[in-house]
Amino acid sequence: MNSNVSFRDFATPTWILIAVGLVAGGAVGLYEMFFGHLFATNNALVWTLPLVVYIFLALMSTGVSLVLAYGLIMKDASITQHTRPLLIMAIGLLLGGFTALATELGSVLNLVWILLSPNLSSPIWWMGALYSVELVLLIVKLVMDLKGRHGVFDMPLAWGTLVIAAAAAITIGAVFGTVIGRPDYHGAFLSIVTLVSALVSGTAAIVLLRPQSALTETAGRIFRQTALLFAALILMRVAYEAHSTVAGMLGWASIAMLAPFLIAAVLFTLAPRLLSLLGILGVLWVQYSFIITGQLVSLGQTAHWYGAVQSYQPNLAEVLVLVLGIAVAAALIKLGEQFLIERRPAA
Amino acid sequence: MGYGMVIDQQLCVGCAACTIACKIENNTPVGINWCDKITRTTGKFPDVRYEYISTMCNHCDNAPCVAACPTQAMHKDRQTGLTLHDPKKCIGCKACIVGCPYGVISVNWERPHRHWAQRDRLAEGCFSPREMVEESGGEGSPHGNPERGTTYPVVRPAGTVEKCTFCDHRLAQGLAPACVDACPSGARQFGDIDDPNSEVSKLVARHGGQGLREHLGTRPRVIYIRDYKPQRRFEPARPAGEGQGA
Ligand code: SF4
Ligand code: SF4
Repeated sequence: MNSNVSFRDFATPTWILIAVGLVAGGAVGLYEMFFGHLFATNNALVWTLPLVVYIFLALMSTGVSLVLAYGLIMKDASITQHTRPLLIMAIGLLLGGFTALATELGSVLNLVWILLSPNLSSPIWWMGALYSVELVLLIVKLVMDLKGRHGVFDMPLAWGTLVIAAAAAITIGAVFGTVIGRPDYHGAFLSIVTLVSALVSGTAAIVLLRPQSALTETAGRIFRQTALLFAALILMRVAYEAHSTVAGMLGWASIAMLAPFLIAAVLFTLAPRLLSLLGILGVLWVQYSFIITGQLVSLGQTAHWYGAVQSYQPNLAEVLVLVLGIAVAAALIKLGEQFLIERRPAA
Repeated sequence: MGYGMVIDQQLCVGCAACTIACKIENNTPVGINWCDKITRTTGKFPDVRYEYISTMCNHCDNAPCVAACPTQAMHKDRQTGLTLHDPKKCIGCKACIVGCPYGVISVNWERPHRHWAQRDRLAEGCFSPREMVEESGGEGSPHGNPERGTTYPVVRPAGTVEKCTFCDHRLAQGLAPACVDACPSGARQFGDIDDPNSEVSKLVARHGGQGLREHLGTRPRVIYIRDYKPQRRFEPARPAGEGQGA
């Protein structure tokens, strides 16, 4: 525990920005949960930017967990040296995602039924269960690290996190991939997209938020490889959509989506943090595109109400949920860094 | 035993009496219709065709909404074949809406019928919306049907979803769904579609028929029989030369 934290540590531009984000986004979140409806949704387009924010942050957290688990299993010192900050980062990002999700759920108090009346055929149930277990594992690891308890449990916990995190990312894809009658969602491909995008955004977040030479080198290497893999996946999807004759398929992939990943992977060494940020924005673009596009074709009677194909632009309230999710994650990461990581005096 | 509905497209006149009857019976709020329509216009003038397909929850045997629901709020009643919803268990995740390939589930984004809670009067001496609700003794709105409340809340909670129940409260009393009773042309028939000797099964056996998007494997319990075909075309005989030139 770091006991040298003072008020001055919070009087920084970063904390002021975080506070503004928490207040503005928090106001929207509370209003949406308890008073009225602000989001640009309707009965045919129900999952909009707030859900994208949850998936974006949860997958980024998954990516960080996967890198950490890999480092612990492979005994890669460039990663294991940063175990605590990486745990804090993964927990902060996941809780930021959960915050965005809470604004999106209609009835948060009824969440108890997830435990009392689980439906094992529901990918959403599995997603919730896996991410809850993932959060518990991360917290257990953090507590053990804080108490300096290392030993026999380290390896099983690392393997557990690896398996749970990978399964959670795949399950997010299955939430969409198991849907029938919506051609832009259907298929196992989306689980591959979510798993790889977790790795791209997670490694990019490590490079962006924890710029330490050896760690940047390791995480940067994985980032470049997975960014190229992601670009290849999107290219495959573009080719598939171009040749698809499936009725009702709009197509969510475009050639332009390759650019952020190719640029970031090829030019990475020139400006690692800037290009990591580009990779993160690219991932957000892809996730936003597939989640929204899958709902744009109105089904059945909803075509009468909203037109055969809808268009969607996030409104200010939804953008503020994006701000809220990022602000919660940033606040938790900063708090963790300030309170739980000993600062060494400058040499 | 499993309930099902047969809709005869040859008899349906597209009057939407079913939609209105459902709205009144089930107290659905503004912007939510449990029973609604799909319309299709196909062909090229003068060979155009307009189809009116009355639509509601199909109470699918293999219901994707039920498979998607994380809390079993959306569930199958094995005795009746109905797909029902328990608002107490609903967390408003909307997975059922994304999962249903028919677009028949709606969300209560806000408290339903909230406009009826207003106390402002339009003019002195008028009732305010709230006073009208109090005067009529309705729940939520003046037309809140208390019988609806025997199996499902008359006013559903904000943040949860809702959809057609095949009027399970009426079925429990031995009555047909409200839309069936309201149909002026007898286009809607209701009964035990799992019993080959029921009227609905005989209709399907006689005319064939199919559910919507059956290729998805959902096994819907609403079956449409016969396409509308004009039986007699009215062509008035015109005296030669009339209607020509101007
Ligand atoms: S029509 Fe939709 S809501 Fe009704 S049972 Fe089938 S999938 Fe579920
Ligand atoms: S919105 Fe309610 S009924 Fe629909 S899937 Fe979620 S919990 Fe189930």
